[in-house]
Amino acid sequence: MEVKTFLGGLNVPHYKSFSEKQPIKVASLPEEIIIPLSQHIGAPCQPLVKVGDRVKAGQKIGEAESFVCAPVHASLSGKVKAIEKRPIHSGQMVECIVIEVDDHQESVDYADNDVEKASPEEIINAVKEAGIVGMGGAAFPTVVKIQPPPDKKVDALILNGCECEPYLTCDHRIMLEKTEELLKGTKLLQKVLGVEKAYIAVEDNKPDAINALKEKNDDPNIIIMKTPTKYPQGAEKQLIKAILDREVPPGGLPFEVGALVQNVGTAVAVYEAVRFQKPLIERVVTVTGQNIAQPGNLLVKIGTPLEHLLNECGGIKEEPAKVVMGGPMTGVAQSDLSVPVVKGITGITVLPPKMAFGELEYSECVRCCKCVDSCPMLLYPNQISIYGEAGLYQEAEKWNTMDCIECGICAYVCPSQRPIVKFVQQAKPQIQKLQNSRKE
Amino acid sequence: MNEKKKLVVSSAPHLRDEGTVGKAMRDVFVALIPVSLVSIYFFQWYAVFLIGVCLVTAVLTEILFRKMLKKEPTLHDWSALVTGLFVALLFPATTPWWKAAIATFIGVGVAKELMGGLGRNRFNPALFGRVSLIILAPIIAFVDQQFSALYLNLGRIDVITQATPLAMLHQGMEMPGYGELFFAFPGGALGETSPFFLLVGAAYLFYKGHIGWRIPVSILGTVVVLTFFLGENPLHHLLVGSLALGAFFMATDWVTSPFTNKGKVIFGIAIGFLVILFRVGLAPTEGVAFAILIMNGFVPMIENMTARAQFGKVRKAVPVSSGEN
Repeated sequence: MEVKTFLGGLNVPHYKSFSEKQPIKVASLPEEIIIPLSQHIGAPCQPLVKVGDRVKAGQKIGEAESFVCAPVHASLSGKVKAIEKRPIHSGQMVECIVIEVDDHQESVDYADNDVEKASPEEIINAVKEAGIVGMGGAAFPTVVKIQPPPDKKVDALILNGCECEPYLTCDHRIMLEKTEELLKGTKLLQKVLGVEKAYIAVEDNKPDAINALKEKNDDPNIIIMKTPTKYPQGAEKQLIKAILDREVPPGGLPFEVGALVQNVGTAVAVYEAVRFQKPLIERVVTVTGQNIAQPGNLLVKIGTPLEHLLNECGGIKEEPAKVVMGGPMTGVAQSDLSVPVVKGITGITVLPPKMAFGELEYSECVRCCKCVDSCPMLLYPNQISIYGEAGLYQEAEKWNTMDCIECGICAYVCPSQRPIVKFVQQAKPQIQKLQNSRKE
Repeated sequence: MNEKKKLVVSSAPHLRDEGTVGKAMRDVFVALIPVSLVSIYFFQWYAVFLIGVCLVTAVLTEILFRKMLKKEPTLHDWSALVTGLFVALLFPATTPWWKAAIATFIGVGVAKELMGGLGRNRFNPALFGRVSLIILAPIIAFVDQQFSALYLNLGRIDVITQATPLAMLHQGMEMPGYGELFFAFPGGALGETSPFFLLVGAAYLFYKGHIGWRIPVSILGTVVVLTFFLGENPLHHLLVGSLALGAFFMATDWVTSPFTNKGKVIFGIAIGFLVILFRVGLAPTEGVAFAILIMNGFVPMIENMTARAQFGKVRKAVPVSSGEN
């Protein structure tokens, strides 16, 4: 089924060809793994092990009591070397469990349950125990998402396979190679949410994935939707608009319009958690870009250092390079290659010297409206950037800065090279402060 | 830990479109070349000289002002050259060169640089420069007497002495044919010689995505409707004077037009209305320039009144919802 799209947005170059034809390959084991105790939005975990302990692959090593939280597990067996603050991809220092990896790997025993018989309670419990978070990048604990408040009725589940970020192909490969797991995971999510209809949304630049899904799907209540290829089609609110023609209100969550969006990778993780009781200890990561010797899609153990993964793919070809965790539109450029791959990392984009620009010199806004025309949230990024730059946060608030989803399209099109997203990121906490002080 | 790896970092996004302000301004300059060539065909060295004076003055003015303001020169953004060319196109070929130079100086120096540079100027610099000569008319007339010896004679051209089509229209004289007025007719300012070649340039800018349809269509539409009801000939009004130049090139100026879509339409309608008010009710010249400049001043107000609702603000019936919202 084809769908309409959302207002705004833009065709950005896809750059998918580097890795889209590369089958998922199991990455080699690193010498040490670094498991951050916080890989999700919400409260950090407390360690369940201490330095010197031996852990098995799949063993739970961190947990928290808080509702919005996801436990963490050892992705490989070995000895706990340290529990200390280490840098992660966001640039923050986070408490991490560092494990020295054994040569001989030992794993916890996995079950083999009949997924068709799983009750909603069993599914919720499996998802919680597996530490599953949104694998499209946001890393929100899935167990929270699949239990919306009882007064909000969700009637539509959307599986997000748009993968609108340039370069990235991990979701594409998952849809091709783990088609059945995806469909089964979708059914589990439908069951737990009690929704009849599920939609799997795929951008039309992935016709092979659409065909694979159509072929394997025999459930009339799972509808494969072809969306136009337009950035940011995969953004949650824009996807709901495109598939269901419903608009999530400002500051609101999808269930307020009866919708719930999950990444396709998350659905596969849910399936594996319910069937095998397998925790989220590995994920597919796209390592790509003009500047990596052998681009590909790798099945990577959580906690694998970035550098190990780059070497696995033949290393960086030319320096100076830019190594971006995630896609180039929203990802974070890295200065330290020791940071670990965590649950929410979709890909690593390695850009060549000529694309590896630092902070650009920018000039005044010339009010060309290119950002206005392409903003998917229908904001006025020009105004936000001017007031944000000047530190006039009250004005920035009036232009709805808080509704910005930081997709980056405004800065992408800006002919004055203004770092609009950076201004937004600077303004948001200040506006939050203003709003908090007003409440008091 | 990772020895000798040269890594570049910056804030997201890490991809950028290739468009820059400089490239866009250069496109505007290119889009004005066809009509400039038509004017050179008619007015020969007069047109060449006038355009040259304005371009050189624009560049020198920008360098001078940015030096004074202790800022880096920004000639690479082409905006000085574009303003210079616009000013030249707003004058008749026989305009004394120093008048055009003063207009350019005021446009680039005062209306743009002193306002904070490209992006900060509220009024279209070229129009501001052109119109300030009208406002300063008594002074200009005085200077004129002193400097009449400086007038250049660049050869005799018959077309220079004839009445401009706009004046003909105003005085109810017999008008040239539509085809002639549309494709090429000498009379008035350099930029008034050929609506057709202006359209060619405008089409190029539209194709490049630099101008939209809202402002030109609402200006021209308003002019057609008003002239029709006033019993004037709408086609004549579309084809004469600097309406085409103003509607496609000057009212669509990024910096001085509204950034809201509804605002662009209101802006255009108001300009169309003012143009006809000036043309039919008042003096026959520079109605377009005054109309656009006046509306430039209203832009912030228009924007505030017409800003769109953000995503999700549109109150639409949601098929399912339970509880209160």
